[in-house]
Amino acid sequence: MKQGIALKVNGDTYEVFIAPNQTLLEVLRDKLGFMGTKRGCDLGACGACTVLLDGEAYLSCLMLAVEAVGKEIVTIEGLSEGGALHPLQKSFVEMGGLQCGFCTPGMVITAKAILDEEPNPTEQSIKKKMAGNLCRCTGYKKVIEAVMSASATVGGKQ
Amino acid sequence: MRLPKFDYKQPGSIQEACAILLDQPSAKVLAGGTDLLVNMKHRVETPTTLVSLKGLPDLSYVRQTNGALKIGALTPLKTVYNDPYVAEKLPALAISASSVGSYHHQTMGTIGGNLCQQTRCKYFNQSKWWRSARPLCFKAGGEPCHVAKKEHVCYSTYCGDVAPALLVMNAEVVLSGREGSRQIPLEDIFSGEGKKPLKLEPGEIMTEIVISEQAAKGFSTYKKSANRASIDFPIVGAALWISSSTGESRIAFTAVDRKPVRALQLEEFLRGKQLNKELMQGVDSLVAKEAHLMMSSIDSLSYKRKLMGLLVKGALSEAPGGI
Repeated sequence: MKQGIALKVNGDTYEVFIAPNQTLLEVLRDKLGFMGTKRGCDLGACGACTVLLDGEAYLSCLMLAVEAVGKEIVTIEGLSEGGALHPLQKSFVEMGGLQCGFCTPGMVITAKAILDEEPNPTEQSIKKKMAGNLCRCTGYKKVIEAVMSASATVGGKQ
Repeated sequence: MRLPKFDYKQPGSIQEACAILLDQPSAKVLAGGTDLLVNMKHRVETPTTLVSLKGLPDLSYVRQTNGALKIGALTPLKTVYNDPYVAEKLPALAISASSVGSYHHQTMGTIGGNLCQQTRCKYFNQSKWWRSARPLCFKAGGEPCHVAKKEHVCYSTYCGDVAPALLVMNAEVVLSGREGSRQIPLEDIFSGEGKKPLKLEPGEIMTEIVISEQAAKGFSTYKKSANRASIDFPIVGAALWISSSTGESRIAFTAVDRKPVRALQLEEFLRGKQLNKELMQGVDSLVAKEAHLMMSSIDSLSYKRKLMGLLVKGALSEAPGGI
């Protein structure tokens, strides 16, 4: 049975009418138009759909939208402020941490969660925590370098 | 991949949740969702109702009471392994919880959900399209078991990482029902049947994990072998708990049987003995005695058997007095 819920995405509240079997990913993309959050494997194996839920990295494809009520959801669209890229996004661009870009929103969001939890992570820690974000282009080296560089400049905090 | 249709309930109390489960036998409990929702997308589990535990107050905690460590079943795995007491005193639990899936799964997945996860099989954990080439297997609702080439049996394998670590600590679990709750040893919740791996009574929900103070008085570790070390289910996982004061050791495996298993004969063999090279040679011959290995994954049985020996020897070598 469909029901009306309110979701708080990137600081704004949206009212949507949804069925319980709709995932947060489906609602973000198909109902609210946040196309930055990508649908990869849709089974929780690739990390492309990662969003922040109350600051934690969540796989939106394995999250029912009804369960996100009352949580602060942040997608890749919510990272930049006033048109200026978030330091992590800048770092990915400068270090060449992307090629086709499909996995990048999930990578950046996961990196944000890691740096918020651990402002100066070791390379080993980044590798372990980002292992669930698959990329088929870059080979990860530049991704890790981008996160390391962002943590060195700003500790991930704005 | 769309989820099948279901009714969604978010009860405000355990009693209410248990009542819904009793009322609707095909309802399932939803905790972190990282196991159940994947199976539902594959259409191997199609509950008519999902009973979400998210609305229940205070099921997420790690606290010490009278020396025992109590962990709420809804505690995320990340919270478990980041707890200072767990990290320092119960390394097997910390290592096993931090080796589950990826960082995201550890954030979303709960310790209760990890213990109660479905068993796995190469014929079961597949999309509907993939499975359509064969008759439905017994676990998915059909008759045959494609692993055993028999009917009405299921040899899917229990692959949880945390269960063996808790087994060697003699952990207990609290199961809550409508009539009240009971505390039983963790190993008693596993049925050893692939089709229905848990022995919970109808309407029961796991609410707490209890680890006695004694578990912190020994050395413990968890060793895992997986295709991709940081994100996959184990090919084999082994937990060891050993006390240098009593000479007692406990060993448990995951991914080698329909339930996590203790290696009792091997434990007896190691009892009170000094760890040395000759002793290590005896490990291989005893290691697979208690497990019923079946070809439910793509890894061969001889490979799994070898890994069991290697993982136990690796764990023993890290124990105090190990070689």
